[in-house]
Amino acid sequence: MEDKLVIAGTSIGSRFFLGTGKFATFEIMKEAIIASGAHIVTVALRRVDAQSKKENILDYIPKGSIIMINTSGARTAEEAVRIAHLSAGLGCGKWIKIEVIPDNKYLLPDNAETIKATEILAKEGFIVMPYMNPDLADARRLVNAGAASIMPLGAPIGTNKGLKVLELLKILIEEIKLPVVVDAGIGSPSHAAEAMEIGASAVLVNTAIATAKDPAQAARAFGLAVEAGRIAYLSGLRPKQDNPEASSPLTGFLR
Amino acid sequence: MKIIINGEEAVIQEPVSIAAIIAERKINPEVVVVEYNGSIINCRDWGRISLKEKDALEIVSFVGGG
Repeated sequence: MEDKLVIAGTSIGSRFFLGTGKFATFEIMKEAIIASGAHIVTVALRRVDAQSKKENILDYIPKGSIIMINTSGARTAEEAVRIAHLSAGLGCGKWIKIEVIPDNKYLLPDNAETIKATEILAKEGFIVMPYMNPDLADARRLVNAGAASIMPLGAPIGTNKGLKVLELLKILIEEIKLPVVVDAGIGSPSHAAEAMEIGASAVLVNTAIATAKDPAQAARAFGLAVEAGRIAYLSGLRPKQDNPEASSPLTGFLR
Repeated sequence: MKIIINGEEAVIQEPVSIAAIIAERKINPEVVVVEYNGSIINCRDWGRISLKEKDALEIVSFVGGG
C-alpha cells in the first residue's frame, strides 16, 4: 500500500526528521542523518564570528535532503521573518520551521507571534512549518495562516520526556487535516513510536540523537521506531480494555 | 571610523567595501549572507558598497540546529 507523506505537494521520503544541533562534529552528524534515513533535515542561522567553524555544514548534509531552516533565536514574528529572508539569501530558505521563543527558561513557543510569522511567510511563498504549543484554536489559526504542517511539541525542548501532552496531540491529529509533526521532547525511540501510533504524520528529533553516546546507532533506532509506529497505526490496533481476554483457545484442554 | 559588525563596534581605517571586510576576516564568501543596514545584499554587490560611519553589517551563515 502506498503510504507517502506529502507536504506542500512534495513527497517526503521519511517520516523521521532530524535536527542538526549539538553534534560533536559534522562527520558524526552526517553519519546520523544517513543512519536515520531522514529526508528533512533542519539547520539554524547564526552570526559568523572568529569561533565559527570554517567548514560549511551543508557539505555534510546528503544530497537530495530537504534543508529546513529554523528561525531559532527569534523572539518575535518580525525576527522570524528576518531570519527567513536571510536564509533565502543563502539559497535554500524555501522550507522554514518557524520557531518563536520569547522565554529562555522553558523554551516554550509563542503561538500568537508564530501565527503572525506564518501568515507573512506563507504569503511570500515559503513552505512554513510552525513549531507550536499544542492548542487546537491556534492550530486552526495556523492552518488559516497558510501553514504547510503544524509541529506541536511533545514536551519542552531538550527534556527527553516524551509525549507529556499526549491527549492534546491526539486532539490535534484528529482535528487538523494538515500533517502533524511532533517536534521537541522526544527522548527515546519508544516516544517516537508512540507519536506515530497515535497517528502523527512524522516526528522531529535532535537532542536525543546528538547527545547519545553513539549518535548513528541512536539515529537508526529512531528511524526504525518511526517506521514501526507508522505501520502499527495503519494496522488498526485494537484499543486498550480492562477485561483480560485469553489469546489461546479456551476449549480442548488436556484434563 | 566606527561601524557595527554583528552587533559589535569595529573601527576601520578608511572607507572599505563589504567584500574587503569579508576578505579581511577570512570568511568564506560562499557560505554567508550579508545584511547591510537591514537590507540583504547580493554578493555580486559586495565590492560596490563602501561602508560609512555607523553602518551596520550582519554576516550570518548556517549552523547546526533542531
